[in-house]
Amino acid sequence: MTFSGIVIKRNWKFQLLWYAALLYFSYLMVLITIQYVPVDFDVAFLRIKQDEIKLLHYQIAFFTHVYTSIFVLLLGMFQFSDYVRRRYSSLHRSAGKLYIALILLLAGPSGLIMGYYANGGIPGRISFCLLAVLWMVFTYKAYMYARKKDWKKHKNYMYRSYALTLSAISLRLFKWLIVSVFALPPMDTYVIVSWLGWVFNLLIAEYIIYKAATDSQISKS
Amino acid sequence: MNKSICFIGILFLFAQCKNAIRNESASLVLEAGTDFSANKSIAEKNIDVDTLVGNYTALYGFWVGYFENAESHDESNKAIYADEGFIWNRQNKINISIDKIEGEKVTGHSVVAGNDRPFSGIVKIAGSAYLFEVKEPGDDKYDGTFSFKITNGKLEGTWQAYKKIEISKRKYELEKKVFKYNPDVMMDEYKPFVDWQKSVVTDTWGDDDGYTEIIKEFATSTQLIYKVNASNTLLKKEDVANMKKGDLLVIRNAIYARHGYSFKNRPLRVFFDSQDWYIPVHTDIKKDFTEIEKKNIELLLRYEKNAKEYYDYFGRG
Repeated sequence: MTFSGIVIKRNWKFQLLWYAALLYFSYLMVLITIQYVPVDFDVAFLRIKQDEIKLLHYQIAFFTHVYTSIFVLLLGMFQFSDYVRRRYSSLHRSAGKLYIALILLLAGPSGLIMGYYANGGIPGRISFCLLAVLWMVFTYKAYMYARKKDWKKHKNYMYRSYALTLSAISLRLFKWLIVSVFALPPMDTYVIVSWLGWVFNLLIAEYIIYKAATDSQISKS
Repeated sequence: MNKSICFIGILFLFAQCKNAIRNESASLVLEAGTDFSANKSIAEKNIDVDTLVGNYTALYGFWVGYFENAESHDESNKAIYADEGFIWNRQNKINISIDKIEGEKVTGHSVVAGNDRPFSGIVKIAGSAYLFEVKEPGDDKYDGTFSFKITNGKLEGTWQAYKKIEISKRKYELEKKVFKYNPDVMMDEYKPFVDWQKSVVTDTWGDDDGYTEIIKEFATSTQLIYKVNASNTLLKKEDVANMKKGDLLVIRNAIYARHGYSFKNRPLRVFFDSQDWYIPVHTDIKKDFTEIEKKNIELLLRYEKNAKEYYDYFGRG
C-alpha cells in the first residue's frame, strides 16, 4: 500500500499524478536550493534576512538546512512505495537511515535555529520552532519503531515525518495560492502559511493513518 | 494514450518551471538622477536666486502648473484611461524658472517630465503685462519655443516643439511658487497611485459591433502611502516587511518628490504631479539626501526587489 494508494485504492492514475506533482515541486525546490550555490549572503530569501545572516550560527544553520533538506525531500519520495520496499528492501533501509540521520543531526536542529529567527513575528517563530521539534520527534519515533520492528507504528510516524518534510512544498504552494487569490500583504501571508503549511499536511497524514487503521479493522472483521 | 498525455503534461510543467520560482524580468524603477550609489553626477546648473536684483525680481523664480496638450485634433486617443475614474490627458507639471533678465534679454530653464532644459529669449513690456518669447537650444528632441505673458501674478502661454513629436503643442497657466525642501510633507489623497504600466488584462469581451472592452487590474497602493514618511522617520525592517510593491514604490519615490525631483516614470509622475506641494525642480538629487533618507531608500529597495522577484511566485519571500 502506498501513500496515495490508501486514499484512493490502487488508482494508478492518481499515483502517477501524485508522483508527477511530487517530482515537479521537488524540482522547483532544487531550483530554489541552487539559488544559494555558491554561498551568497545577499540573494533570494537572505536579502530580507540581513540582520540574521550577520550571525555566524545563523549562517551555519541556514546553509546546513538549505543544503541538506533538499536531500531529505528527495530521499523520502519513494519510501512509501510498496514496490520499492519489497523489491529493493536494502535500498529502502539505507535511504531511510540517511533520511533519519539528515533530519535528526542536520536539517532538524538547523531548522530549529532558523525558526527562532523566523519572519512573521511571534506567531511565525512559534510555528517554525514547533515544526522543527515535531519533525525531529516524529522522525526519531519512526526510527525507534523500525528498530523494534513495529512496522505499523514505524509507518505511521513516517507519514507524520514526511508530511512535515513536505511542508517545504505546501508552505510555498499555499503562499502562491493566497497571493494569487487574495493578494494579501507579504507578512500577513507568511504568518498564515507558516501554520497552514504544516498543520494541513499533518491533518492529511492523520487522516491516512486513521483510514488505514479503520480499513484494516474492517478487513479483519 | 493516457500515459503519453501525462508524459507530455509533465514535460510541459518542467519546461515552465524555470520561471516558477522567481520573476527573472523584475526590474526596479530607479532613475539615474536619484541613484546615490552611482558616482557620476548629471550636470545641472544651480541658480543662486539671492544674487539676482533689479526691477524684475518679482518675475524671477519658479512658475509652476500643468503643461497641457494643446493639439487641435482629437485629444482622446492620446489620453490614458486606467482603472475606474482614472484618466490622464498627458498633462505634466512644469516648472518654468525665470533666472535672469538684462535689458530685454531673458534666460531661464524649464523642468518637466524629467527633462531640465535651458532657454533664452526676449521680454517686452505691454502695459501691465510682460511678454516673453524664449527658445530652447534645439539639440534635444523635445526642445521648442515658449511664448507667454506674465500679468497679475499669473504666467500664461503656449509652447511649440521644433520637431514633429507626439504632442507638439502645449498650453499652460502657471503660478509663482517657492520651493523649499520639507521632510515632513505628507501625501494628500487627491489621486490614487495607479501603475498602469504594470497592468494585467484579466478579462476581455466583444459585442456584436466588434467593440471590445478591456478590464485591467493595476498595481496600486494602499492607505499606507498617506501614513508612512520615509524622509523624517528611520524605517525599521518590521515597518516595510508587510508592504506590497505599490506602497514600497510610492513611499520610496515620495522621498525624491520632496526634494523636487522631476520624474521620468509616467505613473509616478502623474501621481506626484497631483500633489499640491510638489514642484519639479531637479533632475539630479543624488547629493541632496539626508542620512535617514539614504538608509530608508536602501531598505525600501531591498524589499521592493524581493517583492518584485518573489511575491507572487512559488517561494518563501
